[in-house]
Amino acid sequence: MHISDGILSLQWNAIWYVIALIFIAFGIREIKQRTSEDPSYMPLLALMGSAIFVIAVWHIPVPVTGSCSHPIGTPMSAIIIGPFATVILSTIALILHIFLAHGGITSLGANTFSMGIVGTFVGLGTFLLFRKVGASIWLSAGFAGFVGSVMTYITTAFELAISLNPDSFFQQWMIYSLGFIPTQLPLAIAEFIFTAAIVKYIVDAKPEIFKKLGGVVNG
Amino acid sequence: MDNFIKNCIILLVVCTALMCVLSYIGYISGAEMGGTDAAVEETAAETRGLEAEGIIPSVEHFGDMGEYVGFTLAGIVGGFIFGYFWIDIKGDNNA
Repeated sequence: MHISDGILSLQWNAIWYVIALIFIAFGIREIKQRTSEDPSYMPLLALMGSAIFVIAVWHIPVPVTGSCSHPIGTPMSAIIIGPFATVILSTIALILHIFLAHGGITSLGANTFSMGIVGTFVGLGTFLLFRKVGASIWLSAGFAGFVGSVMTYITTAFELAISLNPDSFFQQWMIYSLGFIPTQLPLAIAEFIFTAAIVKYIVDAKPEIFKKLGGVVNG
Repeated sequence: MDNFIKNCIILLVVCTALMCVLSYIGYISGAEMGGTDAAVEETAAETRGLEAEGIIPSVEHFGDMGEYVGFTLAGIVGGFIFGYFWIDIKGDNNA
């Protein structure tokens, strides 16, 4: 989902920035509120921030397609620390990724939208939906990771198509999505496994973390 | 050494071994193993004759070695931060 500088049009870069900034504003509010309620929320943020930073730039080779790519980590973070705070963390991670030649400063809004907003909220939504129908925590978390990961890349394809090919938008969106899917699908399965394992582990080892965070896991 | 640390070490070894095996399979099959982000982005940019540019200097300026060192440092720093705050949250078993 790391779109570089010089690819998207100025107009679309601006639109994605505005959308991202709205979510970032809510994120700052969420962090301030939760930190004032519970100071132990801060180390949890640092923990998830470092996890997203590493996971979202950790290239995993997929020999079947002869390429490599990376998971996103934001669905896991959204379940553990909340969605708006995750948007902030993913923005910080994406800024640091620029120095590792991934993404760009002008496309930061677009990359935040795909990984930080869509990955986060679709992932969390999937988790809550699965919990509501009675699925176990690990299964719900796993599907959150899987769906969040796939949707992030479909959104990236959307961003590329709508900016570069407005005349044949739908066709190009499908083409770019199909370009991502063969590599991303095995990685989405990896995202399923580690999201399920980490969330389940934290629920078992430190259930009070979730109790403090408004009962998302039990919800 | 508690179960958590044991599991982490096992996971680290398994992941590293898996990455090596997958990379080697890609290498012997002659695949380029390039990043998908860049590949799709290039395909998209070509439709409009655009080219990706880096406004902010990155590790790419130091060549392949810069990337290796940059990613290694990023992983180490990220891992240390994660580990440090994990103790803060979970509690130090040795304390």
